[in-house]
Amino acid sequence: MIQRLAKNRDEAWPWLSAASVALSLLMLAALMSLLVVRGLGHFWPAPIEEVTLADGQVIAGHAVREAPLPDRPGHERLYYTANRDLDGALWQWVALDAIQTRSTPADLVLLDRASWGDFVGRLVAVVTPNERLEGEAAWQALQQHLNQRNAVANGAPSSAASGDSHVPGDTYLPGDTYLIVESVEGRRRQQPLHDIHRAQRPNAMSMGENIQTWGGAVWRFLSQGPRAANTGGGVWPAIFGTVLMVLLMSLLVTPFGVLAAIYLNEIAHQGRLTRLVRIGVRNLAGVPSIVYGVFGLGVFVYGIGGSLDEWFFSDTLPSPTFGTGGLLWASLTLALLTLPVVIVATEEGLARIPDAQREGALALGATRLEMLTRIVLPMAAPAMLTGVILAVARAAGEVAPLMLVGVAKLAPQMPLDGEFPYLHLERKFMHLGYHIFDTAFHGEDVQAALPLVYATALLLVLIVLVLNLTAIFLRHHLRRERGN
Amino acid sequence: MTPSPDTLNQRLRLARDRLATGLITAGGIGVLLAVLAIAVFLLWETLPLLRLGDTLALAKLTPLAWGTLKAAFYALLFAVPLALGAAMYSALFMSTRLRHRLKPTLEMMEAIPGVVVGFIAGLIIAPWVERHLAGTLLLVIGLPLSALLVGVAWHHLGTRLQRTLPLSWAGLWLVPWFVLMIVLIFWVTPQLEQYLPEGDLRRFLDKQWGIDYATRNAMIVGVAMGFAVIPSIYALAEDALADVPKSLLEGAQALGATRWQALWKVALPTAGPGLFSAVMIGAGRAVGETMIVLMASGNTALFSASPFEGMRSISAAIAIELPEAAPDSLTYHLLILAALALFVFTFLVNTLAEAVRQRLRRRYRRLEGHP
Repeated sequence: MIQRLAKNRDEAWPWLSAASVALSLLMLAALMSLLVVRGLGHFWPAPIEEVTLADGQVIAGHAVREAPLPDRPGHERLYYTANRDLDGALWQWVALDAIQTRSTPADLVLLDRASWGDFVGRLVAVVTPNERLEGEAAWQALQQHLNQRNAVANGAPSSAASGDSHVPGDTYLPGDTYLIVESVEGRRRQQPLHDIHRAQRPNAMSMGENIQTWGGAVWRFLSQGPRAANTGGGVWPAIFGTVLMVLLMSLLVTPFGVLAAIYLNEIAHQGRLTRLVRIGVRNLAGVPSIVYGVFGLGVFVYGIGGSLDEWFFSDTLPSPTFGTGGLLWASLTLALLTLPVVIVATEEGLARIPDAQREGALALGATRLEMLTRIVLPMAAPAMLTGVILAVARAAGEVAPLMLVGVAKLAPQMPLDGEFPYLHLERKFMHLGYHIFDTAFHGEDVQAALPLVYATALLLVLIVLVLNLTAIFLRHHLRRERGN
Repeated sequence: MTPSPDTLNQRLRLARDRLATGLITAGGIGVLLAVLAIAVFLLWETLPLLRLGDTLALAKLTPLAWGTLKAAFYALLFAVPLALGAAMYSALFMSTRLRHRLKPTLEMMEAIPGVVVGFIAGLIIAPWVERHLAGTLLLVIGLPLSALLVGVAWHHLGTRLQRTLPLSWAGLWLVPWFVLMIVLIFWVTPQLEQYLPEGDLRRFLDKQWGIDYATRNAMIVGVAMGFAVIPSIYALAEDALADVPKSLLEGAQALGATRWQALWKVALPTAGPGLFSAVMIGAGRAVGETMIVLMASGNTALFSASPFEGMRSISAAIAIELPEAAPDSLTYHLLILAALALFVFTFLVNTLAEAVRQRLRRRYRRLEGHP
């Protein structure tokens, strides 16, 4: 009996341990697919539903999600109805049992406007000073006009010119043209043409147009600045700030990290002290990043930055120049944070090189410098590269210390521009990770910002994963090479 | 007599060598000193607190310390069983091919930035769990039970099915099974919940036992931070288990032990210190993690051990309050004291783990017959 029990237990435990692997993988897969589906799906042109409710009300919008009703059984659905200028809100909850009919009429348009956000409804007419186009003709004229305007704005005059030669001149509409648009319940509004970025009829689009629209939306997300309090537009300044900061950091951390590793491994006397220092450096990789942020704030920003302000920028003094968070201080802080990563990786590479190589070089009459630069460093180069890539990957995902030393929710000026001295080390910058935190937790309309936060999170994860994969691949390659 | 060009050249080379060695030494020591400067700076900036001698101010730190430990505790409660289980499975039962794929995959998991995990946990999972509390709690029992069920059923399967679904690949083919179970559990629980007097577990907890439920709570933080900590615990624990000398395990099995008995009675005690240091490293990470706690806990400084209530950790308090604190104010020095505490704690924990690991490595070498 006891033996059988023991045997059963022995058969049970392996399954529990297998379950923990499966659960970890499941969580990872769930997180990644959530990010991919929500992050990329947001840009897909979703159909617009026209919904008639039991009380006669008509609404139109994208269905977003469903939730149980708070007070009675059943579910309700959230619609993105846009039209903030008409309804005063972007969203509307509708109880499922109140819905009488649902349809997706092909003539519903979605206008992306500079003010008041999106508009959902029907296009009634395009009115120029000379004429009034209605129905399909109005939609055609609007489409052609927007295409040409975008082509001109993108600096592609050839396509605009060829477009001009094929279509009559009246498609390039005069500046004071306005549209008459009508919401689904019949309220009309005059909409100036210059206020419109894009117009779509999501319900009438073919698969090819859908993909094209999706690609365009993804591209705009990557290449434009944020709009409407970070709930619209793109993340280009954040990408730029992240990359610039990480580049500066790797410029700082690589020479110093390699120098320290060479000193520890090749020059220092290999005694008790060196071993202690080595353990200390290794453990610094485990010190929380926020502690480095505190150090950066206290020493770089208040200490060095404050002194720099007193010496060189005293004329602007109550408002600080270097005495506040900025690009330089953020890069320096992260360089310090990633220093142990580079040191440890480089040291591993150096330790793998057999002593015979060094002794051989010295025996042939090389000095230590020559031995280092011609034999040891070239052999350790992949390890150093691995270390730097790992450091970059860690720095790109780190947000906590940046909150103390120079990240901004919205930086009015890019840290790199055409104005002397071109690279403005004292400016604050935007960062992808902080953009996620700030938009998700301090935004005014979280529901509206959520899809963009997903997309930003996906972008950040992709950047970090690609960097890490490169490092893993390099290390693997390196080990195989040494193994042979 | 003028020196020949050769000796001149030689001297130049030697001088250059000496110069470079000097520069490297200076640079290396400089970098190491800069790293040391962190500790010195933190100590120096906490000194003014002694002069102020305000013991009341220190009381402000105790809820923060409590919050930090609470968050780390729940994170480890979630992460340690999963990570150690995964390590045991992959060191002893898993097929080699899967193992070579699994390690980099979990390394990827470690690389996912905390801000992304925090966002998902705080904004997506927390409200969802609030609506499906009963189902989530049932998962804790349901998933392990369903794995056991699979184990029992597996032994009654035919040999052919056993060969297509081997235990060595169970880590992979259990995933779709779990998806099925999760869907099932969340489909069943609302029906079960109706039999509660309040029709909803959250209201039931509140009415019956007066348990508050905050949307962003320690349970959410524990799962999110556990997710972030699992890979580092797993990697170290797996290393320790995989390095156990094969001869020990083979000896145990030759004496009639099952594979699990060999693991439980031989491998675990031998690798015990390694597992301990893995958990320590995990604890160090959990204590210092900032963004996940900041985003997934309510950031309210409470003294409560309940998994359904929030907390405010030291790291989150630093991230929120330090940018606003004027330099030389009491808050500023207090927060730096908090940072010093974090620094000392993680440094000590990591050093302890490292020392234990070094000793373990020596023991393995002795066991394998190399003194």
